[in-house]
Amino acid sequence: MNALHPLTWLAKHSRQLLPLGIWASGWGAMWLLDGTLGLGNLAMLMVLASTLASLWLGPWVACGSSALAALLFNLLFVPPRGTLAIHLHQDAMLLLTMLTTSWLVTWLMSRQRTLTALAQRHAHASEQLRQLGEAMRAAGSDPVAACAPLLAMLATEAGQASPADCTVAVWLGGPQTATAPLTADEADGLRLCTQTAQALGPGTGRHTEQPACYLPLRGHRSCAGAVLVRLPPAESGPPPAADWLAHAQALCDLAGQTLEQAREAEQAHAAREQAHAQQLRNTLLSAIAHDHRTPLASVLGAATALRDQDDRLSPAQRQALVATIVDETQALVRLTGHTLQLARLDSLRQPLHTDWESVEELVGSVLQRLRRRNPNHKVRARLDAGLPLLRCDAVLLVQLLDNLLDNALRHGGEPVEIRARADADSLRLCVLDSGAGMPGQVLPGTQSGLGLTLCQAIARVHGGQLTWRQRRQGGTSVECRLPLTAGPQPTTHEATTAPAERSTP
Amino acid sequence: MSLCIWLVEDDRDLRATLRAALEVEGYRVLASASLADALAVWAHAGRDIGLVLLDLGLPDGEGETILRRIRQEQGTSVIVMSARDGDVHKISLLDHGADDYLVKPFSVGELLARIRVALRHRGNHQPPAITRYRRGALEANLATHQVVWQGEAAHLTPTEFRLLARLVRQAGRVVTHRQLLLDVWGPEFTEHTHYLRLYMAQLRAKLEAEPSDPQCLLTEPGVGYRLAEPDPD
Repeated sequence: MNALHPLTWLAKHSRQLLPLGIWASGWGAMWLLDGTLGLGNLAMLMVLASTLASLWLGPWVACGSSALAALLFNLLFVPPRGTLAIHLHQDAMLLLTMLTTSWLVTWLMSRQRTLTALAQRHAHASEQLRQLGEAMRAAGSDPVAACAPLLAMLATEAGQASPADCTVAVWLGGPQTATAPLTADEADGLRLCTQTAQALGPGTGRHTEQPACYLPLRGHRSCAGAVLVRLPPAESGPPPAADWLAHAQALCDLAGQTLEQAREAEQAHAAREQAHAQQLRNTLLSAIAHDHRTPLASVLGAATALRDQDDRLSPAQRQALVATIVDETQALVRLTGHTLQLARLDSLRQPLHTDWESVEELVGSVLQRLRRRNPNHKVRARLDAGLPLLRCDAVLLVQLLDNLLDNALRHGGEPVEIRARADADSLRLCVLDSGAGMPGQVLPGTQSGLGLTLCQAIARVHGGQLTWRQRRQGGTSVECRLPLTAGPQPTTHEATTAPAERSTP
Repeated sequence: MSLCIWLVEDDRDLRATLRAALEVEGYRVLASASLADALAVWAHAGRDIGLVLLDLGLPDGEGETILRRIRQEQGTSVIVMSARDGDVHKISLLDHGADDYLVKPFSVGELLARIRVALRHRGNHQPPAITRYRRGALEANLATHQVVWQGEAAHLTPTEFRLLARLVRQAGRVVTHRQLLLDVWGPEFTEHTHYLRLYMAQLRAKLEAEPSDPQCLLTEPGVGYRLAEPDPD
């Protein structure tokens, strides 16, 4: 440890020792070279020493030392030596030039240093603003939590500006949001600061007698709240510098703008949600009002006919009425399923049960369902070979395809075709019919409208979209485009176990 | 003596309709309308019952209590009737011992078909009841490891054969993804649904005329797979 002492002492005082060393070596060199070099060259050596020393010295010290050096040079080297008198005009000129050059260099150096320090402070300030913006966006929707990074930064900044501890607290419109216990005075100050959107306290020009600074969190249109910075007592240290206050206010304004944007985004989102919920409610209400009543009327009609006119009906008539009841009930069951699913998808925001699904299987199970309802349907499937697995909710996707096919069979015309093809990042499922085609505008609330609304909702929750168009040769083409993500690679696993896999004879 | 079916259903109209339909088919029907009633019937007459039709939403509790009680004691077939159609719910019922499920509303024809399948599998908790399967052009014999498709021997890899064999043992009934992965690949593969997709596609390519419109190897979306009911002998 003792051996380190001189070294640490040196390191600590390098700022003072380095210029001393430079001057010493400058004078040493001049003394050694005196006689070998002319007066002009010696003077150049002195200017060099003065320039180098000014790199580490303050401007006034540097100027003083240059002046002292010029006097000493005159005394030691300018003839007649040992006096301050100068015999030749050119020597006087030399000394004057030397001194001016030294002073000029010193002035330029100190100006450069000030500019650099200013640029560093600006860079630090804008970096802090950027960090604050990011931290607040990352902090989430709770405004008090979002202010935590602001408080941390203000505490650090105020701590740097004045040595004693500073405490900070945020206030967003009421005492319940304050992050630290407040005195009645402080609460009043924060309220006034929020209302007037102007800073109060020492250095702000308003209520300078206060022991703390109050900085408003200003947005473009409103003031979200205010921040309290408790300053140390005046006797324990100097008050924070004026540019500290400007920087702190810039941080607070950024926080205020971020809070304002977040609040406005939230309001806009809520308004959209409400409009969407209203639209959904209308769709569901008109579905129940119209679509459910029609099949119910048929069922009730057929059933009451069977009850009231039983003895007057032929066996064929009776069969027809029973068939009506069965068909219309099945239609009602589907309709109820659609209505429920739509309400579930749109309002409850349930998580999807997604898995890797094979498009071929999904289409296969839809065709199987369709055959149960209508054994003679004419639906043709044309699927590209080697379709990738799709990450989706199988039940919903089957409902979507089932709906599209049912619509095509009911409102379009046979033959109906279902196609699937994949490109780099999406899967396209197309249902084409060859009949009259869907009306250009499908109104929500009609059976096909409800079915299509459901299909759109299913496509949407999978990150895809549904579009339809008239085909040139007649009929309609409905396309559902779903995003494809990189799927699992079962072949990698199979490669390791493949040697065991040999076909049975 | 005809087979006894126990009908646990709280809705009076549905109970009456189903009872009539089952009796027309020649089954003896025992009916319960509540959980308390059902537990008493099970304790008293459980041994006579050949098949249970269980409604889950009973007024005094969940029908799952009865399913658990039945599974603790014996292997009676249970078909669950539920108004809930979430696939997660179905999978959990199948994994907890229900033989099959029907989502309300359903037709009498569908119910009778499911009952026939369940009865064919009675006693399937012992070694596999079905080792031979024939439907259309597909024939499989698990004992001799032979699979014939359109009159010719089909060449299946061992994994493909194990998958087909697992479905044959429960022909006509849904086998969940989890169960298939567990039995064919092993416990560490129960989440690897994509293996199933791959191997089912290979099986369909070998054993179906139109793989995108299969007649035997059927998909139950979100739940599992079902081998279509075999042709009657």
